[in-house]
Amino acid sequence: MVAIPSFWDERKLLVFLALIIVASVVMLIEIDAARRGRQSFADQVAGTVVAPIQSALMMTGRVIATEAYVATHARVIGEQDAALAAKARALAAADERLKEHAVENRELLRMLAVRAAVPGRTIEADVVGYAPEAARRELTIDRGSSEGIALNDVVLNGDGLIGHVVDVGRSSAHVLLIVDPTSAVPAYLQRSHAWGIVTGTWLHARMKYIGQDVRMAAGDVVVTGLGEIYPAGIPIGTVSEIDRKDNALYQVAVLDPAVKFESLDRVLVLVAR
Amino acid sequence: MSTLDPARADERLRIGSGTPRRPRVDAEISVPPRFGLLALLAIAASIVQSTVLSSVEFRGAHISLLIVLVVWTGLRCGVVTGGWLGLLAGLIADALGGGGVNVLGFTLAGFGAGLLANRFFWDSFPVFIAAVAAAAALCAFVSWATLAIAFGERGAFARDSHTAVWAIVVDCTVAAIALTFIRFGRSRGWIRA
Repeated sequence: MVAIPSFWDERKLLVFLALIIVASVVMLIEIDAARRGRQSFADQVAGTVVAPIQSALMMTGRVIATEAYVATHARVIGEQDAALAAKARALAAADERLKEHAVENRELLRMLAVRAAVPGRTIEADVVGYAPEAARRELTIDRGSSEGIALNDVVLNGDGLIGHVVDVGRSSAHVLLIVDPTSAVPAYLQRSHAWGIVTGTWLHARMKYIGQDVRMAAGDVVVTGLGEIYPAGIPIGTVSEIDRKDNALYQVAVLDPAVKFESLDRVLVLVAR
Repeated sequence: MSTLDPARADERLRIGSGTPRRPRVDAEISVPPRFGLLALLAIAASIVQSTVLSSVEFRGAHISLLIVLVVWTGLRCGVVTGGWLGLLAGLIADALGGGGVNVLGFTLAGFGAGLLANRFFWDSFPVFIAAVAAAAALCAFVSWATLAIAFGERGAFARDSHTAVWAIVVDCTVAAIALTFIRFGRSRGWIRA
């Protein structure tokens, strides 16, 4: 009797069983590690050995893919690049305009607050020029007598006092700044209510005629006092230095003006008090 | 030359002891590749799959070079080599991010392909492609079963079966291309598998 060889002979069966057992053990180890949120030993080995190769291959693949895309889409990329550059320029310009508007908006808000705080009618004016020579610290505004501006009208902005009108034309006026040496503004220290006169030193201002017994410190705020021209309470600046001599009758305070006179573009003119 | 000249006529007659009509061809000696080389190929295939080919997809299906390699190894080398390479390939696939759902399917695929080795020619297109299709389907089923049993993930079949069918199509296409390349390489002597 001839024996018919079985499809599942003993050798195949042994191999099958061994494979199933090993595969099951490996599978259980991997599943257990995955369910615990950890890496198995095989995962760690693969991560250590293969990860650098994967990284290099991915980088190479990306470079090749990018270069191939650039090579095949050169014209489209060029057009897109030009369009994006134009868009970037337009956006940059729009951004600058927005920044400018934001600055202007802040300035206008401050001026509105001042307008509400000061008594009387105010006229908004643009600064159109400064004195061309260094003889006086003046500026020119684009409003004049036709809008109701008159001599000695007080000029200010959101930061504080700028000066007063010293001559008026029909459609423009000149404003003497408080930092001009010929300017004289009655003022007092907000903290101690000590009075003095603020005059200009070209770049800064000085508060003179402060009594020797007045105690003041750097940082004290100086505001206008009620006088012939100026209303009370408009900020002039802050004390930066104090000049006190024992043999003098008065103290002198050097002030940092509240207004930046170099970058004025819009002012308020207080036309009626 | 004259027909009356017997000596000259002799030259035109084929003598039995002369050169043979066809060149002699040696019997083909085909040596299966070593397991070390196949293991290196499996590692390379898994790395390529996880990097360069990861972005290549067709209807959500990705190319599986590992399945093609495991099935080819089973058909070419038999149950032992096919099974162990399937185990190794599944282990690598799981180590690179499978979570244990690949190893059993790949092992069974390699072993199953090895069972066909004694009955079919390994370089037959229909056999190889059918085996790859069956292996891809088997791996997908084992993966779904493992996901359901081990991780409690229900509905994987309903969700992924459409993609799995496309994966079978993609793998069969890759298998056909690979076998064409192997046959061409063997005919040119580049490949001795």
